[in-house]
Amino acid sequence: MSLNRSFFVPLDSPLHRLNPLTKLTFVFAMILPAFLSLPAFAPGMAIPVLIAVFVGGVQRQYRGLLFKLILPTILFMFFMQSVFLPIGETVIFQLGRFDVTLEAMQTAFLTVSRIFVMVSSFAILLLTTHPGELMSDLTRRGLPPQFAYVIISTLQILPQMQAKAQTIISAQRSRGLDTESTFLKRVGAVVPLVGPLVFGSLVEVEERAIAIEARGFTSTRPKTSLHNVPDTNADKIIRWIFLALVILSLGGRIWLS
Amino acid sequence: MAIVNLENVTYKYPLTDSPALQNINLRVDEGEFVAVVGPNGAGKSTLCYTIAGFVPHFFKGELTGTVEVAGAESSTSSLHEWVLNVGLAFQNPFNQISGAKYTVFEEIAFGLENIGVPRDEMKVRVEEAMKLTGISDLADRSPYSLSGGQQQRVALTSILVMQPKVLVLDEPTSQMDPIGTREVFGVIRTMAERGMTVVMAEHKVEWIANFADRVVALHEGRILLDGKPREVLTSDILLDKGFGISRYTSVARKAKTRGLWTRQQLPVTLEEAAEGFQDV
Amino acid sequence: MNITISNLHFTYPNGVQALRGISLTIEPGEQVGIVGQNGAGKTTLVRHFNGLLQPTSGMVTIGDWDTRKYSVAKLASRVGYVFQNPDEQLFSRDVKTEVAFGPRNLGYSSEQIQSQVNEALAMTELSDKTETNPYDLSPTWRKMVAIASVIAMDTPIVIFDEPTTGQDAANIARIANVIKTLRERGRTVITITHDIDFCAENFERVIAMSQGRILLDGSANEVLGQEDILATTYVDPPQLTRLGKRLRFKKTVRTEEEFLAALRG
Ligand SMILES: Nc1ncnc2c1ncn2[C@@H]1O[C@H](COP(=O)(O)OP(=O)(O)OP(=O)(O)O)[C@@H](O)[C@H]1O
Ligand SMILES: Nc1ncnc2c1ncn2[C@@H]1O[C@H](COP(=O)(O)OP(=O)(O)OP(=O)(O)O)[C@@H](O)[C@H]1O
Ligand SMILES: [Mg+2]
Ligand SMILES: [Mg+2]
Repeated sequence: MSLNRSFFVPLDSPLHRLNPLTKLTFVFAMILPAFLSLPAFAPGMAIPVLIAVFVGGVQRQYRGLLFKLILPTILFMFFMQSVFLPIGETVIFQLGRFDVTLEAMQTAFLTVSRIFVMVSSFAILLLTTHPGELMSDLTRRGLPPQFAYVIISTLQILPQMQAKAQTIISAQRSRGLDTESTFLKRVGAVVPLVGPLVFGSLVEVEERAIAIEARGFTSTRPKTSLHNVPDTNADKIIRWIFLALVILSLGGRIWLS
Repeated sequence: MAIVNLENVTYKYPLTDSPALQNINLRVDEGEFVAVVGPNGAGKSTLCYTIAGFVPHFFKGELTGTVEVAGAESSTSSLHEWVLNVGLAFQNPFNQISGAKYTVFEEIAFGLENIGVPRDEMKVRVEEAMKLTGISDLADRSPYSLSGGQQQRVALTSILVMQPKVLVLDEPTSQMDPIGTREVFGVIRTMAERGMTVVMAEHKVEWIANFADRVVALHEGRILLDGKPREVLTSDILLDKGFGISRYTSVARKAKTRGLWTRQQLPVTLEEAAEGFQDV
Repeated sequence: MNITISNLHFTYPNGVQALRGISLTIEPGEQVGIVGQNGAGKTTLVRHFNGLLQPTSGMVTIGDWDTRKYSVAKLASRVGYVFQNPDEQLFSRDVKTEVAFGPRNLGYSSEQIQSQVNEALAMTELSDKTETNPYDLSPTWRKMVAIASVIAMDTPIVIFDEPTTGQDAANIARIANVIKTLRERGRTVITITHDIDFCAENFERVIAMSQGRILLDGSANEVLGQEDILATTYVDPPQLTRLGKRLRFKKTVRTEEEFLAALRG
C-alpha cells in the first residue's frame, strides 16, 4: 500500500535533481516520436525510457508498476488487437472463429509499444518528481493553479484509489467479510468494493475541495512556494536537446514519407 | 469594536424543512475569545460555517440576515477573499489534508503559498506554529501516516499559521490528549490576547471556563444564553436541555441539596470548587 | 475469551516504532480503559487484536487463536473493532445495510441478524435514520453508526477507539449504557479514550500508555490517582480526583458518589 498516496520515491539521483519541466519535456520527447514518427521508432523509444529508470535509481518501484499495472494492461491489449482486428491476409493461426494475422499482430505490437512508452515515461516522471514541486513549478511558470491542481490530483488518482481500496477492504474484513481464503472469495471480494470505492472517491473530492478552499487555494494573490525548484542551465540545454530530437523525428517522418 | 457581527441570521440547508440557525444575533469584539456550546445538532458547525463564509458560498440553501466580518458583508464578498480574514478548522480532523503535499511541514506551508507569503517568512511561521501545537518532531513525516490526535494538530496548525483576523475552530481538540487540550486552549488564549478574535465550538466545559471570555449556548439553532462562562455554564437551563456540564458543577449541585455546598454560585472550575468545598 | 499479548513490538513501514514491548493479559468479561498521549500507540495496539496489524515481533492471542495464523475475517467473529475514524469504517449506502453487514458475514440466522441489528440501532438511537446514507450524517452520528455496526456483531470482545469524541451528554450516556449492557452480558470491552472523566466512571481497570509502552496498569483508582506519572503521558486525573486531592482527601475518589461520601466524613 502506498502510504503517501503518490508514486514519488524520495532519492537523490540525477533525475531527481532535474527541474520538473525538464522531466515533463522528457516525457513528451518520448511520447511524440513514439506516436507520430515512423512506426519503427515506437519500440525503439523503449530504450531511452528504460535507461531513464536506471538513471533515476527507481528500478525496484518501476518493476512493481511494470508487473502489476503496465504488463497486464499491454498483454491484454495485445491479445485483443491481435485476435479481433479484422485486417491482413497472412493468417498465422486461428482462435475459434477468428483469424490471427501477421498484420494484426504487427499493429497490436505497435499499439502496445506506444502505450508502453507513454505509461512508462509518465511513471518515471511521477517516481522521481515530488508532486508538490511539479505543481509549484508549473504555477510559477504561469499555469493557473486550479489547472495545476487538477493535473496533480489526476496523477495521484491511482495511488489514492489504491489506498482507499485498502481502507475499505480493511473495514470489510474487520466485520467478517472473507476476502482471502479461496481464489473465488478473492475475486468475489471485488464486488462489495466497487460501489464504496467510487462513492468514497467522489466524497473525498468534495471534502478536499472545501479543505483547500479554507487554505486560500483560490486566492487571486500571486503565489509563492516553499521549495525553490532549481532550474539550471543544464536543464535548459537538456530541454532544447529534447525539443530538437522531437522536431528531428517528426521531420524525419515527413521527409521519408 | 465588533469585528464579527451577525444580525437576524436564519439559515436553512438545501432540501431541509427546518432552519439550522434561527434569528441569530451575535457580535464579537476584536480579541475576544468566544466559546460556542450546545448538544449535537444544535447548529454549532453551521454557525462556524456561516462566520467563515462557507455558508452561503459553499453550502447553498437559504440565508437571511447579515453576516459581517471586519466591515465586509459575506453574501456580497467572494469566498477566496473571505478566507483571508477568517480561518476555519473543520470539525472532522481526518479529511483536511490538501492532497498536494508530501510532508507535514509542506502541508502546513500550503496555505501560506496560496496567499503569497515570501519563502523566508513562510519557513519561520511554519516552524513557530508547529512549536505552538507541539508537532515540531513530525515535520518530515507524511501527513497520511499520523495518529488521530496528530492529524488534528496538523489541521489546526495549518489554519493557525495563516494568522487570520478571526479564527473559527470547530471542536479543535476532540482527538487530543487531556494535557495537550489544555495547552492548545492556552495557545489560543494567548493569540486572543495578541488581538486575534476566536470563535470556538467545544464541549470541554472545564477548559472553556478557564480560558474563554464568553460563552454562547446554542440549542436547536437558537441562542439560548450568551454571557460570562461561569454564569452560562452553571445555569439550570442548560441542565434540562442536554448540555454538557463540568463534574464540579454537577457534584456541587448534588452537594447543595445535602447542605454540603453553601455558596449561591455553583463552581465550574477546579479553583472555584476547591474554595467552595473548603467552606464546609 | 482471554487476550494475551507477549512482548509485542511493532514498527510501521516508514520506520516509526509505535510499540516497544507490550505484555498484557485481559481476562474474559473485563472492562478496560486505555489512556495516553497522542501518538502513544493506543490505536496501533488494538489494531493487533483483530489482525489488522501483525506483530513485527512478539505475539497476540485471542482465546486459543494466534493472530498471525487467523485472517482478519476469521478474527472478526471474536473481536469487534470500532475505528477511531468512522470515515475509514463505513462504506455502505444506508445505515441499515451498514449495521447488518457484520452479522451477515458471521453467519447468524436471519432472525438473529434482524434482532441484533434492531437492538444495536435502538441502543444508539439510530432507529429513525435507517435509510440515511452514513455520509449524509454529521461526524457525531457517523460515529454512532460505527458503534452500532460493531455491537450488532455480538462478539465476545468489543473495542471502542475514542467513542465519545464530539458527543453531547445524551450520546455519552447512551455509549456508557452500551458499555454497561455489554458488561452485563459478560463481554470484554476495551476502550481507548481521552475523556478521562468518562474513563473514570465506566472502567474498573485502566491502562496508561506512553511512547509505545505501558506506563501504568491497574485498578482505575490506582492508576488515575498517580498525577505525576500520568502527566508524563499528557493525561490529567479526572476532575473529581483532582478536586479530592486539592481538598486533601485521604482516598483517591473518581465518581460523584465517592466524592460526596469522602466529603461527609
Ligand atoms: N449539509 C447539511 N445538509 C442538511 N442538513 C444539515 C447539514 N449539516 C447539518 N445539517 C443539519 O443542521 C442542524 C445543525 O447541524 P450542525 O452540524 O450545525 O450541529 P452541531 O451543533 O455542529 O452538531 P454536532 O455536535 O453533532 O457537531 C442539524 O439538524 C443537522 O442535521
Ligand atoms: N499508518 C501509519 N504509518 C506510519 N506511522 C503511523 C501510522 N499510524 C500511526 N503512526 C505513528 O505511530 C505512532 C502511534 O500511533 P497511534 O495511532 O497508535 O497513536 P494513538 O495512541 O492512537 O494516538 P491518538 O491518541 O492521537 O489517536 C505515532 O507516532 C504515529 O505517528
Ligand atoms: Mg458540529
Ligand atoms: Mg488513536
